[in-house]
Amino acid sequence: MTVNQSLMLNLFTGMLASFAVGAAGALLSGRWPRASRWIGHSFALIGGLFALSLGLGGLLGGVLSLSITQLLPVGGMGLGVDRLSAFFILVVGVAAVPSALYAIGYTREYERRHSIAGMGVSLNLFLASMALVVMARNALTFLALWETMSLASYFLVMTENDRETERAGWLYFVMTHAGFACLLGGFLLLSAATGSMDFAGWQAGAAAVAGPTRAVVFVLLAAGFGSKAGLIPLHIWLPRAHPAAPSHVSALMSGAMIKLGVYGLVRVGFDWLGAGPSWWGGALMVVGAVSAVLGVLYAMVDSDLKRLLAYSSVENVGIILLGLGAAMLFQTYHLPALAALALLASLYHTLNHAVFKSLLFMVAGAVLYSAHTRNMEEMGGLIKRMPQTAVFFLVGSVAIAALPPFNGFISEWITFQSLLLSFQIPDKAVNLTLALSVAALALTSGLAAACFIKAFGISFLALPRSEPVRHAREVGLAMRSAMALLTLACLVLGVAPFVVLRFLSKTTAELLGATPDMQFSWSQLVAGGSFATVSPLWIALALVALLASIPLALRIFRANTARRYYETWGCGRAVQTARFEYTAASFANPFKRVFSILYKPVKELAIEFHPESRFFVRTISYRNDARSIFDESIYGPLNRALRSFAQRVRLLQSGNVNIYLLYILIALVALLIIAR
Amino acid sequence: MTLFKKVWRTPVVTEPLTPAVESAQIEITARRIDESARRLFGRSLHIREVDAGSCNGCEIEISALNNPYYDLERFGLHFVASPRHADCLLVTGPVTRNMADPLRRTYEATPDPKLVVAVGDCARDCGIFAGAYGVHGPVSAVVPVDVTIAGCPPTPRMILSGILAALQMREQRPEDPKHQ
Repeated sequence: MTVNQSLMLNLFTGMLASFAVGAAGALLSGRWPRASRWIGHSFALIGGLFALSLGLGGLLGGVLSLSITQLLPVGGMGLGVDRLSAFFILVVGVAAVPSALYAIGYTREYERRHSIAGMGVSLNLFLASMALVVMARNALTFLALWETMSLASYFLVMTENDRETERAGWLYFVMTHAGFACLLGGFLLLSAATGSMDFAGWQAGAAAVAGPTRAVVFVLLAAGFGSKAGLIPLHIWLPRAHPAAPSHVSALMSGAMIKLGVYGLVRVGFDWLGAGPSWWGGALMVVGAVSAVLGVLYAMVDSDLKRLLAYSSVENVGIILLGLGAAMLFQTYHLPALAALALLASLYHTLNHAVFKSLLFMVAGAVLYSAHTRNMEEMGGLIKRMPQTAVFFLVGSVAIAALPPFNGFISEWITFQSLLLSFQIPDKAVNLTLALSVAALALTSGLAAACFIKAFGISFLALPRSEPVRHAREVGLAMRSAMALLTLACLVLGVAPFVVLRFLSKTTAELLGATPDMQFSWSQLVAGGSFATVSPLWIALALVALLASIPLALRIFRANTARRYYETWGCGRAVQTARFEYTAASFANPFKRVFSILYKPVKELAIEFHPESRFFVRTISYRNDARSIFDESIYGPLNRALRSFAQRVRLLQSGNVNIYLLYILIALVALLIIAR
Repeated sequence: MTLFKKVWRTPVVTEPLTPAVESAQIEITARRIDESARRLFGRSLHIREVDAGSCNGCEIEISALNNPYYDLERFGLHFVASPRHADCLLVTGPVTRNMADPLRRTYEATPDPKLVVAVGDCARDCGIFAGAYGVHGPVSAVVPVDVTIAGCPPTPRMILSGILAALQMREQRPEDPKHQ
């Protein structure tokens, strides 16, 4: 099937027009919140569908190239779609369509309390800039759109204007701009070295750039994109901004926006700079492994459902980076087929994470919508009150824990295979790094499973732990259908991965000039010649058959299936309340002990006795919080240093006009001497 | 380091086990319990012990069943931590007021089919605690009892024989109306 350029152009125009109409409509109908809510989000939905089709068109081979010279200085606005851009447009579309649908229902709560018009404008702008930024074809276009995306998402985070969001938004603002500064520095350096502001010019000229300059550019760009992707130690904005934002925005930020950091890293490593020394890939792998393991460990101990999901995003970006770093290493050692395989794994995980993390954030939002809490210690028993939502969360959890038959399993399986195939690299040190990264990935998968057992078990099972949760009701149709769409996507991507993998292998072929070392058909995937095989479809069928065989086996062996209903066994206690239940904190406590070096838990036990006798206790309060070692050992000192530096600089700023005149004089004399 | 020193310097002190006539008897009884339980439940016997107010004399004898001399586990007889896993309840002591309700709940939480064995004189008729203000009554006043084992305390061998008797009674009358 061929897709011609005029169709692509139409899709592109349709997408932009929908987002523009959505933004304008939401703004103009701002006085009628309900109308504004429907207009803003419906057009965002339509725009998302256009983005999805544009991405699909690009993956099918459609190309697009646009240049509007009047719009921006220095080379004008250059846009284009190649297969990599198309894939990321698809990822944006995959997250955008359900999020916009979900938002129609979810933002009802925001009517009359917060600005619906503002949300509509920011959301449409955010979606448009995300879809456009991956199409940028020169530095200025990219930076302008990148900044638009950051600002739009900042305004979305700040929707609920309270103390928590203010702090979170501020931190996000600072981190995203620090990242932007790194990008700007890297872009300018690269432009100066290659003499071109166009990405095509960079690709052509990068090989001739001197080694140290390339290294500096790589580090700057990796830091800039890494801060957007939420890599440890640049992740600190993520666990604060995600819980503070409205849930459909969290879904978009986690599902799509942080993936654009991954997009940037792919561009840097395989397009703009080309193959680099082995420490590039190695550094990415180490950062990826650290992000994966620490991300999931922090997710494990958190009892705020949305913050848990945010930390889990850090973990998943780590997994994506493991694949990406491995791809860069393979490329350095001239193993293009394996590089393509690793890149394929990392891109597929990018798509999968966009699907299941959006889904999980939406479920967290649904719980927040109907029970008004994010704290897992107050939840419980939601499976009885919100049965469909519970199923969606269960599917999302199984998918993110990388268990078959869902999509997370496939992408982690390919990642594992590409890491295991690293024995073909003729360098012992690199082999060791990759072997350790396999261990890190295995540990991550196990911990992720434990983490989501906690998330599902504590939130949805047992008895409700608080009054609002007891009265929770199933959410509306718009929200449920959005979640159902993503649940279905988890299953389809897990059972029939070949559909997407076929297009992705063309994407990697375009970037690396080699097809991945993998054969796939409708029933099985074969990696590395005949190194490893998996049959997602048969696994799924086997699982279904296994479940079906349980009642059958009971019948055949004539087991006693008589039922007797009686209360839950509670060690014979006369009174059983929800306070006797297992809590999120107690579930996480063994992990807190084992990994105490990372959590540095603070224990506090305060007992208040009766004034008459110590045998009577009035209150007992117990705290066992985990601290973030990054906040304390990196950002704390950094913050203090910055403050003390600012204090010193303030001495110059005396407020005395005479002193300022003196400064001017000194500057003038200095300039005259230098610029003779 | 002190640990290693101690391990090195402490001599091994054991006494040879004198073979007793009793041990052969125990083995026969335990094997018959296991066979009978397999016929009844289709698996080895799982026992939950409930102390309903005992002086712990019976508990000492019951826990002796797990020591190296009796070593009940070798016959597949397990003490379990929850009535949900149990086939047989071993109840000791006069049932105190506080334990009457938990005992009833434990009985209800045990899946059918199940056996209840009352161990010791107190479980049978409250023993020396009969008539005390905190005592609710014998075990049979709270839950249906299959077999009662006398003794203050009964020896481990007697306890084993009691369990066997309960199993055999149930094998002869599988549809015992007592537990319905």
